[in-house]
Amino acid sequence: MNGSFRGGVHPPDMKSLSRDLPLQEFLAKGDMVFPLSQHIGKPAKAVVKKNDPVLAGQLIAEADGFVSANVYSSCSGKVKAVEKHRTISGQMLECIIIENDGEYTQADTYDTRRDVDGMTVEEITAAVKDAGIVGLGGAGFPTHVKLMPKDSAAIRYVIVNGAECEPYITCNDQLMRSNADEIVEGTAIVLELFPNAEAVIAIEDNKPEAVAAMQQAVTKARNARISVRALHTKYPQGGERSLITAIAGIDFPVASLPADVGCIVDNVGTVYAIQRAVVYGEPLFKHVMTLTGEAVSHPGNYIIRDGTCVAELVEASGGVSDQLKKVLAGGPMMGFALTSLDVPVVKTTNAITMLAADPVEEAEKEMTACLHCGRCTTVCPQGLLPQMMADASEINDLDRYENKLYGLDCIACGSCTYICPAKRPLTQIFKQTKAEILAIKRAAAGGK
Amino acid sequence: MEKLLNISSGPHVRDRWSTRFIMLIVSASLMPAAVLGIAFHGIHSLFVILASVASAVGTEFIFDKITHRPDTWKDGSAIVTGLLLALTLSPNSKLYLPILGSVFAILVVKCFFGGLGRNFLNPALAARCFLLISFGSDMTDFSVKNGVDAVSSATPTADLLAGKAVNVTRMFLGNTNGIIGTSVIALLIGGLFLWAMDIIHGQICFSVLIGFALFVGLFGGQGFDPRFILAHICGGGVVMGAFFMATDYTTSPVSKLGQLIYGILIGVLGGLFRLFGSAADSFSYSIIIANLFTPLIDMYIIPKPFAYRRKAIEARQALAEAGIESRTEEKKTFLGRIPKPVIALAVITLVSGLALSGVYTMTKDTIDEQKRIAKAMSYKAVCPGAEEFEFPGEVEAWITENGGAVYGTDFGRCYINEAVIGKDAAGDTAGYVVSVTTADGNDGNISLSVGVDEDGVVNGIAFTELNETPGMGMLCGEPAFMGQFEGAAVDRFELLKGGGADEEYEIDAISGSTVTSSAVVNAVNAGLDFINNVMKGGE
Repeated sequence: MNGSFRGGVHPPDMKSLSRDLPLQEFLAKGDMVFPLSQHIGKPAKAVVKKNDPVLAGQLIAEADGFVSANVYSSCSGKVKAVEKHRTISGQMLECIIIENDGEYTQADTYDTRRDVDGMTVEEITAAVKDAGIVGLGGAGFPTHVKLMPKDSAAIRYVIVNGAECEPYITCNDQLMRSNADEIVEGTAIVLELFPNAEAVIAIEDNKPEAVAAMQQAVTKARNARISVRALHTKYPQGGERSLITAIAGIDFPVASLPADVGCIVDNVGTVYAIQRAVVYGEPLFKHVMTLTGEAVSHPGNYIIRDGTCVAELVEASGGVSDQLKKVLAGGPMMGFALTSLDVPVVKTTNAITMLAADPVEEAEKEMTACLHCGRCTTVCPQGLLPQMMADASEINDLDRYENKLYGLDCIACGSCTYICPAKRPLTQIFKQTKAEILAIKRAAAGGK
Repeated sequence: MEKLLNISSGPHVRDRWSTRFIMLIVSASLMPAAVLGIAFHGIHSLFVILASVASAVGTEFIFDKITHRPDTWKDGSAIVTGLLLALTLSPNSKLYLPILGSVFAILVVKCFFGGLGRNFLNPALAARCFLLISFGSDMTDFSVKNGVDAVSSATPTADLLAGKAVNVTRMFLGNTNGIIGTSVIALLIGGLFLWAMDIIHGQICFSVLIGFALFVGLFGGQGFDPRFILAHICGGGVVMGAFFMATDYTTSPVSKLGQLIYGILIGVLGGLFRLFGSAADSFSYSIIIANLFTPLIDMYIIPKPFAYRRKAIEARQALAEAGIESRTEEKKTFLGRIPKPVIALAVITLVSGLALSGVYTMTKDTIDEQKRIAKAMSYKAVCPGAEEFEFPGEVEAWITENGGAVYGTDFGRCYINEAVIGKDAAGDTAGYVVSVTTADGNDGNISLSVGVDEDGVVNGIAFTELNETPGMGMLCGEPAFMGQFEGAAVDRFELLKGGGADEEYEIDAISGSTVTSSAVVNAVNAGLDFINNVMKGGE
């Protein structure tokens, strides 16, 4: 309960590029592409077909099962195709492509307040489910699933994640500064589902304006169950587990869920989307995103529509410098590199980071054998032994990796790789080894 | 966007510290010790350091080229190894020592076992031990070069073990006889700097020092006298070992608990060897032995992730009792906070430590008895006419009073142990025998008995303690050397280093063992002097 977790690293935060730039709406002119899978779980099923006219805010794909999410169009126009298109992860996935008429005619104005006080738990979760809300922190887990744990009465903490510990990213900072009241109202709505919980809005202490804005909004709302906590600035403070350690003071295995230890963690962006959905009936088709990096001419914080082509946004923002080396979806710690800019922004895209230098390329030249210096062990927020895990992986001792070293508890936060003076690609090794072990397990389960 | 973008797995940002940077910092932290070493011991120390570093880096370079490996010589670790080795050598080292040592360290200890991060012994220390075993006398030649003659003198640690007072302040500064990196203050500055930079683990260096201090305090016979303990810590490479050798990443355990156990093991072994072993520079061995325990420690002490530690499990159980169902069962039940092998390891260490000191204590009487018999036999050998030996009261009183102090002024560091008068069957005086110990031997103390007959003719000498270099100093125990003393009616012998002794009082030195020869002649002279001036003078 000391406001922090063990381990962690302090990468240069690089937020000054965009931290004080207010949110601006970006409306693309070109085609919009909506992957059917923008979340964890089964892909949605398309409910429109070629040449169907659509409006912004219209349902175009429907959740397939409980762990799935609806997809809404963010523009008006007509369906051009339902086919495979390259997505932000690099894969070719089934997408609905809409020819944008540029009018952005909406299915609804979404500005009439509904009576929230009288809503039942079922109504609230149904509104969240209908709106297609998923975890906007990056994971994309369908939010309505998270809001319906087995025992709602056992939830002690609702943690609203405004930590934003990834370097470069500032959109949630701006969202908290400009929409604090809505976030607090969204938090109050979530609290309605959990009678015994208190809500903590957790923000890293490198965002004093956001802390102040949220504090003010909480004071105004006079809700004794909500508080604001400024946390140590340390990566991965915004990780679900780190937050629970910092706020609820509890560590739990990766095989368990936060709800198992009485916690629900939602990103501030998600909570804002919940407020929009429950109060105004607005589905999720736009969210905040930071365009940043040394190679981008004009960084900015955007309210971006799902389906927007990354290349178009970059072009419209003022282009990139010749030095562009690498483009990341997300921040440099957990983001992944894009092969092409001709991919659509999805619900979980919280940043496009354009780097002028690639530290990984430089690190590869400096790579040496493992020194066994133990820095990775010191920074691991899970308390794992990365150097031993890497050794076990190297000799393919998967039993030791899993059972002695608890290697599957790696959350792939990248802290060990970041700190390693020998520049070993530890996180990459762990991701691969984990995939390998899970594949073997699946094969074994299938064989029986 | 025609341009090809870089693609790689995350994270896409790296800390600025690299292997080479860490190695450079470690090298830099050794600079104060190196500079003070050169200042105190002279310019030759610089050559030793340069030779060592150059041959370390050169060896790795050549190995890389021959085996077509990536250029690992650039990572700076060879510089650290070379520097560390040089600082543990005598400032008098002939240059073949650092070169041979560095080649051994890099080639045999490091490269043959897979290079950086794969060696199972600290390369610098393993090389030092290799040199100590192979070139004992050259390695422990700490004599102060004074013109042409080497003035033999012991290191402060040797003095300390001989029970003599040492100047702790001088030891702390490092202006004493000993290795190049002998300045404790300089090593402390470098070591604490590394600790502050988080490069070395405090669990190791401080547990080494604490373990050593506790052991010396408990078994050193002088209690926890801070001056005594400090003197021990300041000597014999303890500080160098604790901060720079024991903390070697590759050869120390991974877990904090393991590091503590490892550190204490080094401290205790170091104390054990220091107090009960034969060599003053035994600290190297204690680290090397602890290095060998590291894989064992790492095998059994694997700290659990935070979520699987007792505290976290109990916290979750408390939650479950408060009404939350735990969805997943714990993978494993809690076995006990400390794994059994750790307890076993600790017990083994403790038992072997106690057994060693126990054996020493138990055999001490037997050894003393053996020494007494050896002494009695030596008396008989150097005073053949005597039937029994008498202990003159006044001589015994003199020895009780002055025996602990260096005898005379021009015999080096000689001590009179005992003196007897041999009586023949008729009860008449048959001769005089003195037992002398000199601390000037090359490899420790030399004790001998000198016998003189009634007329002042030397009957001969007999050694009761001689542990010099085999084939060299040990030749003093051969009749060819000892025989030179027999039958000479002189008060004082003189050592000829070049050979060609023809006068009665002249003794040919053992070739290559001037230090030992000179110590023996001095001891004999001290004995003769004692007989003439104290025993006979007392009659």
